[in-house]
Amino acid sequence: MQPGQLAIDFHAILPEIITVLAAVLIMMIDAFTRRINRRVAGAVALVGLAGAAAAVVSLWGGKVESSFSGMIVTDDFRLFFAMIFIIVTFLIVLISLRWVEDEELPTGEYFMLLMFATTGMLLMSAANDLVMIFLGLETTSIATYVLCGYRRRDLRSNESAVKYFILGSFSTAFLLYGIAFIYGASYDPNLSPVATTNLQLLKERLASDQLFSGPMLLAGAAMMLVGFGFKVATAPFHIWSPDVYEGAPTPVTAFLSTGSKAAAFASFSRVFILTFFAAAPVASGMTDSAVSALREVSTNALMVMAILTMTIGNLVAIVQNNVKRMLAYSSIAHAGYALVGMVAGDWRAVAFYLLSYVVINIGAFAVIEVIARRGDKRTEIADYSGIGFQTLGLAAALSLFLLSLAGIPLTAGFMAKLLVFKSAWAAGFHVLVVIGVINSAISWYYYLRVIVAMFFREPATGFQRPVLARSLVAGLVLAILGTLYLGILPGRVLDALEKASDIMTTAARR
Amino acid sequence: MVPLSWYLGLSALLFTIGAMGVFIKRNTITIFLCIELMLNGVNLTLVALSGFFGDVSGQLFVFMVIAVAAAEAAVGLAIIISIFRNRESLNVDDADTLKL
Amino acid sequence: MIQMMAILLQAQSRPPAAQSDAPIFGYIPIIIFFLIAVLLPVVLLGVSRLLHRRVFEREKLMPYECGIDPIGDARERFSVRFYIVAMLFLVFDVEVVFLFPWAVIYDKLALFGLVEMLIFIGILVVGYYYAWRKGALEWA
Repeated sequence: MQPGQLAIDFHAILPEIITVLAAVLIMMIDAFTRRINRRVAGAVALVGLAGAAAAVVSLWGGKVESSFSGMIVTDDFRLFFAMIFIIVTFLIVLISLRWVEDEELPTGEYFMLLMFATTGMLLMSAANDLVMIFLGLETTSIATYVLCGYRRRDLRSNESAVKYFILGSFSTAFLLYGIAFIYGASYDPNLSPVATTNLQLLKERLASDQLFSGPMLLAGAAMMLVGFGFKVATAPFHIWSPDVYEGAPTPVTAFLSTGSKAAAFASFSRVFILTFFAAAPVASGMTDSAVSALREVSTNALMVMAILTMTIGNLVAIVQNNVKRMLAYSSIAHAGYALVGMVAGDWRAVAFYLLSYVVINIGAFAVIEVIARRGDKRTEIADYSGIGFQTLGLAAALSLFLLSLAGIPLTAGFMAKLLVFKSAWAAGFHVLVVIGVINSAISWYYYLRVIVAMFFREPATGFQRPVLARSLVAGLVLAILGTLYLGILPGRVLDALEKASDIMTTAARR
Repeated sequence: MVPLSWYLGLSALLFTIGAMGVFIKRNTITIFLCIELMLNGVNLTLVALSGFFGDVSGQLFVFMVIAVAAAEAAVGLAIIISIFRNRESLNVDDADTLKL
Repeated sequence: MIQMMAILLQAQSRPPAAQSDAPIFGYIPIIIFFLIAVLLPVVLLGVSRLLHRRVFEREKLMPYECGIDPIGDARERFSVRFYIVAMLFLVFDVEVVFLFPWAVIYDKLALFGLVEMLIFIGILVVGYYYAWRKGALEWA
């Protein structure tokens, strides 16, 4: 094979190249100077992210192209998710710039791992091949395993890392087994290559119903459902996430609950919506083929998962007394709402949901990080009693984020839920929408509980007004602006999403 | 030749033994070894399919899995050592600081 | 023994088409090899057990450590440094796996493949340098 046939196009992976170079640069400065200054490391990370964002913008343009022998695909689906990941890491770097010094943790490695994790996430959205999805997923996971245990002397942090590591690799094994089965199911001796993990080729083979083995396809899809279900923390595969989120350092929790979750959703949507569902249009007439069985079975499975996830997440969140743990259950519930969009087969609603959710959730965790103080000591709801009037700005910001998570109109949370429920309703999943709405009503209880504690309870003892770093204030302001912007003026983002291209739209145009 | 289904059966068996081990075993290192067993079950499936189809891409995937598993093992051992230093125990039942 | 070797060689030189009569036939050399592997230690240990004179003295029951008197308990706890070295070895050792496919089609990829591989090794070197500067390779 000649290099020319590999379709090498470095422009197509420019965002990933830039983030990797930023990470390696931080590493090298850290190694040369023995101890990197946190401002330098943060600045390199932020500049790298800005460069990656510019590269993403330069790729934008409604086209669908695959490169690197079909490993990488450039479509608006990828670019939209890439923007979400860049926003996540940008905000996380801002809110942890001061934190990492206050905690006396190694600075260079922290930002380096964040950038490597971001690279993995970018690759997950860009992947057009199950091998690439696996590599991106593992790059993200390995970096985040380390980040979870970053506070090395803290038993909670250690425990969180061990649990995340064991259950993370356990779920990876399931995902891999699913990939192996799907590779097997795609075998066709008359085609070249005879078997494939490439999603585009896979879709064509599925659509033509030329499969080696239908049961193998279903088994593979089921295994992948388990693997992705673990990664996005959907019930019944959610047990790891409260423990991991509670024990990990707060900015890392913010990163896990937004970045890795959004990345897993990106691959999940790419495989299930843009490949499996796209291969079997609802009115295709192939009623008893393996492909339509796949669509039916996985839609049902996703629906059950969505209902369980929303309900368990919200009900268990009510009884939590630790704010981080409560937000962990809340983030399980939010994965459930995003799954509603996936059941409807509408990745645009999922993407908008995740964009809103990451902005709001990082904002909330930023406030929690400041109030928790050094070593995450104050994270019980009792610690929030009466702090509302002692530190009005922070309490007001946290209230805004919590209300937005609950879905109050004029904020991002409301728009996001509206879109997801609307597309599920339009696709005919009425029961699911009703359960979703009931669940968001339940969620008001535990979000309001924190706000009530902050403003209407006797002040907690030993609360000192925290000193805010400028970078953290910048991150908070950006999160607040984002929450309001996506809630009040979502028009431009929605427009961009409406026009966004993916493999499905181009197939329809053809 | 040995038929394909034998290989697939063996790898399914390996995967299941690994998965059961994760649930049954209480030592962190043993659990980790069970996960490696699951990964190797998958590798066997990929190699068997790849050999049966006469298509190398499955074997290349196995390379990737091996390399990633090594990186994961290095990170995992480091994490396990750090918890051992603080707690002096590898039993997962002792890791209950974060329970409800 | 020589006959067995001959069977081994014959089985190997047989064309692959002839092997497909029975499903297990292709594995006969391996079965023979396995039998030899089991028989050899059994025979050797059995013969020496029959022939030798049993003497139990303190010197003889001591663990064998290259002829020197053993120092301390064998179940000593190892220093964590061993783990660090082992982990570094594990990673760098396995990354070499990617050199094999490259080496196989080196002549077809030509300069492009060489540059790609240099970039790959460059990334490994960066990691190695980082570990070095961070003191992961220092013993004391």
